[in-house]
Amino acid sequence: MDRRSSIKTLIILSAGTTLLPSCLHEEKKPSVTVKNFKISGNDEELVSAVSDTIIPQGKTPGAKDIGAYQFALMMIDDCYAPDMQQKFIKGLKEFDDFSKKTINKSFVKAVTAERNEVLKAIESKKNIPGNATLFYNNIKGLTLEAFTQSKYYLTNVQVYELVPGKFYGCVPVKKAS
Amino acid sequence: MGDSKQSRTFDAIVIGSGMSGGWAAKEFCEKGLKTLVLERGRNVVQPKDFTTTNMMPWEFKHRGEIPYKIREANPVVSRCYAFREDAQQYFVKDTEHPYIQDKPFDWIRGYQVGGKSIMWARQTQRWSDFDFEGPARDGYAVDWPIRYRDLAPWYSYVEKFAGISGNKDGLPNLPDGEFLPPLELTCVENYFKDFVSKNYKDRNVIYGRCAHLTQPKQIHFEQGRSQCQNRNLCQRGCPFGGYFNSNSTTIPWAEKTGNMVLRPFSVVHSIIYDDQKGKAVGVHVIDTNTKESIEYYAPVIFVNAGAYNTNLILLNSKSKRFPNGLGNDNGILGKYAAFHNYRGHIYAKYDGFKDTTTKGGRRPTSAYMPRFRNLYKQETGFLRGYALTFGAERSSYNDTSGFGDNLKNNLLEKATLGPWSIGSQMMGETIPKETNSLSLDTEKKDDWGVPLLRINISYDDNDEKMIKDFSEQMTEMYSKAGFTDIQTIDSKQAPGLDIHHMGGVRMGKDPKTSLLNKWHQFHNCPNVFVSDGACMTSTSTQNPSLTFMAMTARAANYAIEQLKKREL
Repeated sequence: MDRRSSIKTLIILSAGTTLLPSCLHEEKKPSVTVKNFKISGNDEELVSAVSDTIIPQGKTPGAKDIGAYQFALMMIDDCYAPDMQQKFIKGLKEFDDFSKKTINKSFVKAVTAERNEVLKAIESKKNIPGNATLFYNNIKGLTLEAFTQSKYYLTNVQVYELVPGKFYGCVPVKKAS
Repeated sequence: MGDSKQSRTFDAIVIGSGMSGGWAAKEFCEKGLKTLVLERGRNVVQPKDFTTTNMMPWEFKHRGEIPYKIREANPVVSRCYAFREDAQQYFVKDTEHPYIQDKPFDWIRGYQVGGKSIMWARQTQRWSDFDFEGPARDGYAVDWPIRYRDLAPWYSYVEKFAGISGNKDGLPNLPDGEFLPPLELTCVENYFKDFVSKNYKDRNVIYGRCAHLTQPKQIHFEQGRSQCQNRNLCQRGCPFGGYFNSNSTTIPWAEKTGNMVLRPFSVVHSIIYDDQKGKAVGVHVIDTNTKESIEYYAPVIFVNAGAYNTNLILLNSKSKRFPNGLGNDNGILGKYAAFHNYRGHIYAKYDGFKDTTTKGGRRPTSAYMPRFRNLYKQETGFLRGYALTFGAERSSYNDTSGFGDNLKNNLLEKATLGPWSIGSQMMGETIPKETNSLSLDTEKKDDWGVPLLRINISYDDNDEKMIKDFSEQMTEMYSKAGFTDIQTIDSKQAPGLDIHHMGGVRMGKDPKTSLLNKWHQFHNCPNVFVSDGACMTSTSTQNPSLTFMAMTARAANYAIEQLKKREL
């Protein structure tokens, strides 16, 4: 390591140690990097919790195991238009407010039964803030995409054939399976 | 390559390495001519440069989607169905190579060795005399200087080498070719085929004809290609060489002779015309990386740069003899451009054949209905006609409602077969008009000092009438066949998105009203040939690539004969 870069490292390290205590009072930093909109560590936890509730873990892999929420945030960051990103963030807050109203606590802090209650209410589409529904639909759509396009799903459930071979145009359904 | 004039002199120069340029290269090299092939983009060598070809769906970061910022910066190419994460590397981005749209025109391009032959849709139909005689019959555009009999042996020639699958249907309006076995039709496609032949004596539904090796022959194995595996990921380039592209067929074939010098990153600025010799002597090239200006020489020059870039080069080839562009004595260079009208779509469902479905591969074609309008006589309020695709298949799905364990269990279940979904798309002939034109901008130039192309092309009343007729006729046929939930859609897409760019340097018998003769030579500069889409006098309704290939092979072999006779 040359002198210049070791000094740079030192500065970064010391900046880190001095800044850390004041950061503790603010929101947690997210573990994923998004470039085009702002998201806090708490927001990230909420997105993760919603995604994991949509396709839960169990005996077989769920959303968490295939990195669905990270995929969802990456897609929103890279592929959504700026106004849709803003609506998503607005919806995230509205969703959590709705959760607090419905089960008296933040979605992240809720147990599975409570989380299910919130999602059921959202799916009922009755008196739900518009952006909260949009937030939920975004996460659901992207969680489904992450799951059904995952290596796990395409090698174990609906097997994707890269080289399928002969095409049969007209066969009895019984023989196709 | 050395620097001496001698080292920059060849027997033939081919501008472009795509669908047609690859054929010129192959023909010249095979017959022993030292040939320089100029390509403005990078080299793409199969299979090593088909970098995405074996990727699994989950290996694409955005699962195929193009990120927002790229779409925003490149609205034209983003409208192309094949501009996806797996093939985006083959498409020209709007920002890289700007052009000027006097009217909206989606100029979809592919700048690399192989050009658009890597990402094309691979449907291949011959023209018939109903197509060649269209202009002579109704007086729009000029009479073609060739007829089907001139091209028929060359269709056979290129079909045998490229490998075309299809069925011999014996139709006068869509001549049969040298076919490998066809790809099967689905149950509903077969049903509609029978229905149409029983109910409409002038109409036929046939197996799609496409450039796929359904059963390769010796010549294809010699090219290093093997059987099509029905991956239908063709836009990525095929590791099997299962479909025709220059990179797997014509270019390596030319290379193997030892007679080809392929120069990528070489944009042609203009063709050099020698006023004293009274002929074209070479080309002026700019190296796209170094911006160095280089001249190459040859007694014969083939311009296969892709229709509108061919126009651009010729318009920019100014000399004392041709101040308005090469061969442009009559002032029609860049005019009478045309394309295909792809705006009409129709979709439906069929509530039958529930006990049958498809199995195995992903078929790279569909059924096809050749043109049936205005064939034997003018019978509608519009000129010419349209062909169309016909596809019917069942998709399968899982219930995605709800959330939690229920949703997860549904996703893990075997997928349920949906109803038969049916769809057609029109491919309409457009009438070349003087006002549909290409020109050079007088001020703006690209990074290599070449003027930007201005495109002034639009639909007309004939196109609108044809879309209406397509919708009416298809709705009638679909309804009578018992299809339900019929929806017709006018995509309103701009011209150009069909990617069947044609015209501007049309062929004809008369030098006063055309630029090229029946051998694709300029009437007044016979050692320059144009055999890509630019030469098209009219467009008919067929996917045009097969015709460009046959025309190029025919023209190149004529040029070789003339060179031997020292006539060029």
